[in-house]
Amino acid sequence: MSSLIGYYSLIFGVGVSILVIFFSIKNFNDTQKLDTKVISLVFLQLLFVIISFSGLILSFVNSDFSNETVFNHSHTTKPLFYKISGTWGNHEGSLLLWLLVLTLFIFVFLLRSKNQPKQYKILTLLFQQIIIVGFFIFLIQTSNPFNHVFPVPKEGLGLNPILQDPALAIHPPILYLGYVGTSIIFSSALAAVCSNNITKIWASHIKKWVLVSWIFLTLGILLGSIWAYYELGWGGFWFWDPVENVSLMPWFALTTLLHCVLVLEKKLILTSWVVVLSIATFTLSMCGTFLVRSGILNSVHTFANDPERGLYILIFLFILIFLSFFIFLIFHKSENNNSKTFYLLSKETSILVNNWFMMYFLSVVLIGTIYPIFLEVISSQKISVGPPFFNKLILPFLIPFMLAMAIGPKLKWIKSDIEDKIYLISFFVISLILSVLIIRNLDINFLYNSILITAAFYLFFITLRDFFLRKYRNLSQITAHFSFSILILSILFNNIFSSEVITNLKINETYQSQNLKINFESIEQENKQNFKAIRGKFIVEDQNGLIEVMQPELRIYNQPNIVTSEADIKTNIFTDKFMTMNYVQNQDHFNIRYQVKPFMIWIWISTILLCLSGCLSLIRKKYEN
Amino acid sequence: MNILKFLVSVIFLIYCFSSDLKAKNLEIEITKNLRCLICQGQSVYDSDSEFANSLKILVEKKLNEGLNEKQIYIYLKDKYGDWILYDPGFSKNTYFLWLLPILMFIFGGAIILRKVILKKKNYELS
Repeated sequence: MSSLIGYYSLIFGVGVSILVIFFSIKNFNDTQKLDTKVISLVFLQLLFVIISFSGLILSFVNSDFSNETVFNHSHTTKPLFYKISGTWGNHEGSLLLWLLVLTLFIFVFLLRSKNQPKQYKILTLLFQQIIIVGFFIFLIQTSNPFNHVFPVPKEGLGLNPILQDPALAIHPPILYLGYVGTSIIFSSALAAVCSNNITKIWASHIKKWVLVSWIFLTLGILLGSIWAYYELGWGGFWFWDPVENVSLMPWFALTTLLHCVLVLEKKLILTSWVVVLSIATFTLSMCGTFLVRSGILNSVHTFANDPERGLYILIFLFILIFLSFFIFLIFHKSENNNSKTFYLLSKETSILVNNWFMMYFLSVVLIGTIYPIFLEVISSQKISVGPPFFNKLILPFLIPFMLAMAIGPKLKWIKSDIEDKIYLISFFVISLILSVLIIRNLDINFLYNSILITAAFYLFFITLRDFFLRKYRNLSQITAHFSFSILILSILFNNIFSSEVITNLKINETYQSQNLKINFESIEQENKQNFKAIRGKFIVEDQNGLIEVMQPELRIYNQPNIVTSEADIKTNIFTDKFMTMNYVQNQDHFNIRYQVKPFMIWIWISTILLCLSGCLSLIRKKYEN
Repeated sequence: MNILKFLVSVIFLIYCFSSDLKAKNLEIEITKNLRCLICQGQSVYDSDSEFANSLKILVEKKLNEGLNEKQIYIYLKDKYGDWILYDPGFSKNTYFLWLLPILMFIFGGAIILRKVILKKKNYELS
C-alpha cells in the first residue's frame, strides 16, 4: 500500500514540475512580484516527494517484501535503525533521497532569497526544475524504488553487513546534502548569468549556499572516512579509492569557489571564473553519482552495477554541461578589466594562488581517477593508480601551499607589505628545528619529510598566534586554516609513527617482542538480533608496563551470510590502539592485527573544527572588517 | 614572548619523546603498494584473502632471497601485470597520467603570473 502511494506521489511530482515550469514562465514578465502560486506549487512538489520517500521508509519498516527494493535490501531480523537507513543504502532509495534534497533545497532557496530580483529567482527555479525533472524521469524509468515482486517473498535478502553501521547510516544523507547543495549553486549561477545579476550582493547571497554545501560535504567525507577506519578492519582512513576521490573532487571545487566568492563579495572581479567553478562543482557532483552508480569503478563501494542507469546519467550530464556552457557563452559579459589592479602581494593574488593549487589538486585526483578507465577503453591495458601516485603528486605541492596559507590571509586587500617579519621568520626557524628533531632518528627520507612537516608546523604556529592576538579579526578563516594545519600534521605523524604487529595466536598463547606482549586470554560467543558475535579477549602490555584489554569481534551475519570483523579501538588524545582478529582457515589460530596509531583522533577533531569554521562564517553577518 | 617560551618547551618535550622510534617494516611497505587481485579495492596488506596471504608470504620469501623493493615489484609485474602495482610508474602508458597534472599546474601559474604582471603594467601606464 505504502509502495503504491509512494509511486503515485512520484508521478504527481512530475506533474507539478510541469505546472511549476508553466507558471514561472508565465510569471516571468507580467508582474513585479514572484507569484505565490509558484511557491505553493514548489511546496506541493516537495510534499509529494516527502510522501513518496516516507512511503519507501514505511515499506522498509514494515518489511513489505512485495516491494522489490525492500526485498533486495532488507530482512525481518534487521534492527529497526538499519531498516530505516536501508532506505538510502541502495541505488533506488539513494536517488529518491537525491530528489528529496533537490526539491527541499529549491523550496528553502525561494523562501530565503526574498530580496533577490524576481527574474533571477524564476530562472534559478527553472534550471533547478530541469535537474529535478531529470531525476524524476531517471527514477521512474530506470530505477523505480517501488517495483512489485510477485509472488510476495516471505523473507528479504538483507543489507550488506558492512553497511549496518551508525556512521554509514547517516553518511549518505549528509554527503547528499553537500552534493545536492551544489545544484543550487549551479542553477543560481546560470540564472545570474542569464539575468545579468552577478553582483556583490549575489556573491554574498550565494556564499551561504556554498558554505552550507561545503560544510555538509566535509562532514559527509569525514563520516565515510571514520566508517572506513573502524569497519573495514585495516586501520586506514583514506585509500585514494575511486569512490573516495569522487567525493573529494567536488570538495576541491567547492573550496576554490568559496575563496573566489569571498573576493567577488568585496570586488567585482573573477566573475567568469566563479560561474565556471559553479558549473564545474555541480558537474563533478553529478559525475560522482554517475561513476559510483554506473559500476564503472572497481571498488569496495560499488554496490549497484547497472550500465543502463550509468548511460542515462551520462547523457543527462552531457545535456546539463552542454546547456550550461551554451548559456555561459551566449549571455556572459566579462567584467570591465581596466579599473581593477592586481598586485603581487595582495589578498586577491593570494586567493588566486589558493585557486591555482586547489585546481592542481583537483586535476591530480580527476586524472588519477579517470585515466585508468580511459586507458582500458583505448588500449585495453589495465593499470592501477593508487596511493603512491597521489602521494607523489600531492604531498610535495602541499609545502608551498601551506606556506601560502599561512602568509596569504595576512596580506591586505589591495597592496600591503608583510608586517612583523621577525615573527614570520622566527616561527619558520622554530618549525624547522622542531621537524628536524622529530625526523632525525627515523628511517625515512629526511629532507623531504622535514620540509613537509616544517611547512605544516609553520601554518600551525602562525594561525595559532593570529588566533590569540586577534589582530586579524577574521575568526572563521583563522580557524579553518588552523584546523587544516592540524589535519595535515596529524595525518603526517599518524603515517610516520604508526606501528603494528601481525601474528597468529591460539587461545592462551602469548606473543612477545621487545616492546610488546599480547596475551590471548579467552573467547566468548553471544547471539545478537541478526548476527552471532565471537569476541576475543586480549591483554596487551607495552614496554612501559601499561596494560590494555582489547576485545575485537567477529560477526557472523545470518542474512546475507557474511563474516565481518569489528575492530576494538581504544582512543585517547595521543594515540589510538586498534585491534582486529580474523579466522585462519582450517586452524584453531586467529589472525591478530594490532596497531598503534598516534594522533588518530586529531584527524577527526580537526575536520570537525574545519566544519565549525564554516558554520562560524555562516553565522557572521559581516565577513571581514 | 610567552609564545616563544611555550614553543621551546614543546621542542624539549618532543626531543624526549622522539628518541626511541624504530625503522619501518619493508614487507609492510611493499604489500601496501600491491593490489589484492581478487578483492574489491583493497591492497594485499589490507586484505585477509587467501591470495593476499600467499602474496605476503611470497614477498617475505623474496626479501629473504635478497631481492630489493624494486626487483620484487618487477618480479610481480611480470607475473601478474601492471594491474597489481598501485604505483603506475612512468612508462609510455602513463606519460599523460603523470605529466597532465604538472602541465595544468604550470599553465595555471602562467595565467596568474600574466594577470599580475599585465595588470601591474597597465596600472603603471595609466
